[in-house]
Amino acid sequence: MFDLLKIAIDSATSSGAKYSDARILISKSRSIAAKNGEVENFNESEKIGLGIRALVGSSWGFYSTYDLSTESLILSGKKAFDIAKASAVVSGNETPFADVPVVKDEYTTPHDENPFKVSTTEQIDLLVNSTEQMKKLGSSRSSGRLDFWDTEKWFCSSQGHEIFQNIIESGGGISSLSVGDGETQIRSYPQSFGEYRTGGWEVIKSFEFENHTQRLAEESQRLLVAPQCPEGSMDLILEGSQLALQIHESVGHAIELDRILGWEAAYAGTSHLELGNLNKHKYGSELMNIVADATLPGALATFKYDDEGTPAQRVDIVKEGIWTGVLSGRDSAAIAGVKPGGMVRADGFSRLPMVRMTNVGLLPGESSLEEIIESTENGIYMETNRSWSIDDLRLNFQFGCEAGWVVKNGKIIDMVKNPTYTGITPEFWGNMDMLANEDEWVFWGTPNCGKGQPSQIGHTGHPASPARFKNTRIGVRG
Amino acid sequence: MIIWREFLDDLQKNIPSNVECELKMMHSKSALTRFANSQIHQNVDEESADIYLTIHKDGKTISRTKNITAVKNSKEFMKEALESLEESPKDTTWAGLTSKTDTYEGFQETQEVNPDERANLVKDFVKEGRDMNAAGYCSTYLNNFFVWNTNGLNSSDTSSSAFIDGIFRTDTSAGSSHRGAVDIKDLDASQTGKEAAKLAVDSQNPVDIDPGKYEVILGHEAVSTILVFLSVYGLNAKSKIDGMSPILLNENQFDEKINLIDTPEDDKSIGFKIDASGAKKYNLDVIKNGVPKTYFHTRRTSKELNMENTQHEAFGVDEYFGGIGTNLNLSQGDTSQEDMISSIKNGIYINEFWYCRVLDPITQVVTGLNRNGSFLIEDGKITKPIGRLRFTQSFITSLGQGNVISVGDTARYADSEFGEGMLKVPKLHLREFNFTGGVSG
Repeated sequence: MFDLLKIAIDSATSSGAKYSDARILISKSRSIAAKNGEVENFNESEKIGLGIRALVGSSWGFYSTYDLSTESLILSGKKAFDIAKASAVVSGNETPFADVPVVKDEYTTPHDENPFKVSTTEQIDLLVNSTEQMKKLGSSRSSGRLDFWDTEKWFCSSQGHEIFQNIIESGGGISSLSVGDGETQIRSYPQSFGEYRTGGWEVIKSFEFENHTQRLAEESQRLLVAPQCPEGSMDLILEGSQLALQIHESVGHAIELDRILGWEAAYAGTSHLELGNLNKHKYGSELMNIVADATLPGALATFKYDDEGTPAQRVDIVKEGIWTGVLSGRDSAAIAGVKPGGMVRADGFSRLPMVRMTNVGLLPGESSLEEIIESTENGIYMETNRSWSIDDLRLNFQFGCEAGWVVKNGKIIDMVKNPTYTGITPEFWGNMDMLANEDEWVFWGTPNCGKGQPSQIGHTGHPASPARFKNTRIGVRG
Repeated sequence: MIIWREFLDDLQKNIPSNVECELKMMHSKSALTRFANSQIHQNVDEESADIYLTIHKDGKTISRTKNITAVKNSKEFMKEALESLEESPKDTTWAGLTSKTDTYEGFQETQEVNPDERANLVKDFVKEGRDMNAAGYCSTYLNNFFVWNTNGLNSSDTSSSAFIDGIFRTDTSAGSSHRGAVDIKDLDASQTGKEAAKLAVDSQNPVDIDPGKYEVILGHEAVSTILVFLSVYGLNAKSKIDGMSPILLNENQFDEKINLIDTPEDDKSIGFKIDASGAKKYNLDVIKNGVPKTYFHTRRTSKELNMENTQHEAFGVDEYFGGIGTNLNLSQGDTSQEDMISSIKNGIYINEFWYCRVLDPITQVVTGLNRNGSFLIEDGKITKPIGRLRFTQSFITSLGQGNVISVGDTARYADSEFGEGMLKVPKLHLREFNFTGGVSG
């Protein structure tokens, strides 16, 4: 494969590109969905192709194809150059490009059982049995899904990189939906839309769906008759997976350097952060320590090299509440004057690599969830995301959760439905006053992060443990 | 197209006689020229050829997707699928293959657009903003779709489309606009740029206003987002099956000024004239004078609900997602934007919604924000630009009886939260819309 890549890269550089890199991917996926004890969807996919980019002046040109014939590879390199060159009609300053070590290496995701070698019957049965069980327990619609990805990726650059990586990802989840009089309530496990990690079939087995079906079915029905979440300003305790999404939306996207530089302004938006305030801006309370770490074993965004050949690394993003780092690539880092962070990835061979969150997580604190609840006089504990919305500066957000519990004088006293909360990013994080410890720290994964044009879906990780936020506006309704 | 013909001929030799088989190929050439900080910074081009195989035998179904390079040979492809079929459980909702009589032959050899044409449209857009910071894209698509099945259906179609979309930003404001068309030559990038630039200039130094219930004028993109939510979550027959749809057929659910039609047969409509099952689509009343007339069906939902199949199986999403309307037109009215504004004593103009999410599927309560051009209207005039507001509002109620004061006199393709090229809409003047938060949360 490296020889094929070099043909395309040589074609781009001999056409005039100052830099070029290319990837060949063999991407396999398996997706199974079940509803009410029956398989609803079972699809396997395999795609093979090349994506090549060329840097000419101020613009990247990118071309992708399924055709790996020599003729096509030569044409692909030339096309990448020609496409970049066409940008000269509306050009700017030449794009700088930071150096990284030129390596020849390979990496495979550590895993026990390759999910594609596990019998599909075993995988189907797991979902069929789980959803059948919830249906029998009164769920109006029980559903479950499993997804597996096996990506073999060969990367070469005009600087001499030769990297092979085999990334294996597994995940899924189950949920129970109950329909009442003009409303629906849902409970999901391990989190809404499922939980995803790098690794094999062992990831799914660790979820132990069978131990959660009864709780999900019961809670989704109980929510139908539960009182509405109260409205007002009070303490908010977030369970880990909801906090993971809070990190994703209000920190992860805000620290993407391409957003900060305005490259995503028209679509995904920009950021409230300005580079001049790096190492000065107060992002949150002193309990807030965020790192972007692509080296965490088993987390969803773990790899050895990104799609520009930059080594995976751990970067401090927020230290004791102060903003200290960004998510960067080789071009954006060179513009901003920071070290390339190895955070550029593409959604398959046919997409241009772009800045992507790695495992952007909140380091654990010292409390337990039990201690957090015991020390709360008046608050709501919220679990499992149901909706999320945030403005294009990543400041003004509103989240809804599947279930809430009223906490009074240190005790959970009542389940409430339709819990929501809203806030402004720095104020919200500034109000974090208790954070659960390592025992409750989970590598939550988000497999559906949309960004870029053409649209790309990214897989990101967000290690988090439960936390408390003082004086939060809770219970917003239409 | 040669690669389809050759592949189909080869695969046909390897289909066992007792198997129902559906074979599809999507061949696409898509390109997107992206600009930010007033320069083109990313310019991409892609050619793909994906094969979709579905086989059904003894009550079991299996689907496989590969691109043409991943298919080592058609014999092996079929063998893998048959082996997987053995491990599959019964498929109780199988609704059969599309009939031979639904065959539609629409494939045409079409020239792809070159990157210089896209770059020149970007140039036309950017220059309208003068010194303002411009960002956006110009994209072009050429898709060829082929469907064959063992019932004898042999359909094909070609679809081309082009879009220009962008914003201008100042230190305190932004304005955006969008256009879509079947042919790139029908895109007026200068006019699109003019509209975005005016919104950006006019919305500088916005003031914060209190949240609350306001009379609103919604721009094309905002209207498109409301309708795409109703389409995907409400009119989709799969939502009805799952007990999640708020749509009530043949009831006066919406204001009588709401007329939504699906127009795949119109030559100016973006998209294929066949659905993903290969059946020809046809024009359809979806909401007539405020009364929902149909859900969007696939073969499976049609069978399960015992309703007529409206041929809305979608491309590129899992079959179990249900039916999606992709050629929707909200009928335009006769009220100009000026007349809408002059009739408002105290209200808001919103150009575009942002990051909308459903809080409750049955009531379609959605939360989201405004962006790229919002203004306060007082005593019949736009008086000042306004800042960020968060709404929490039922989209069903927003178009409910008595809440639609007037419908704009100009419809165009508008972008939406779920993508472009699906909806042609006018602006709407609504009696009440619920804003629940401002800049301070």
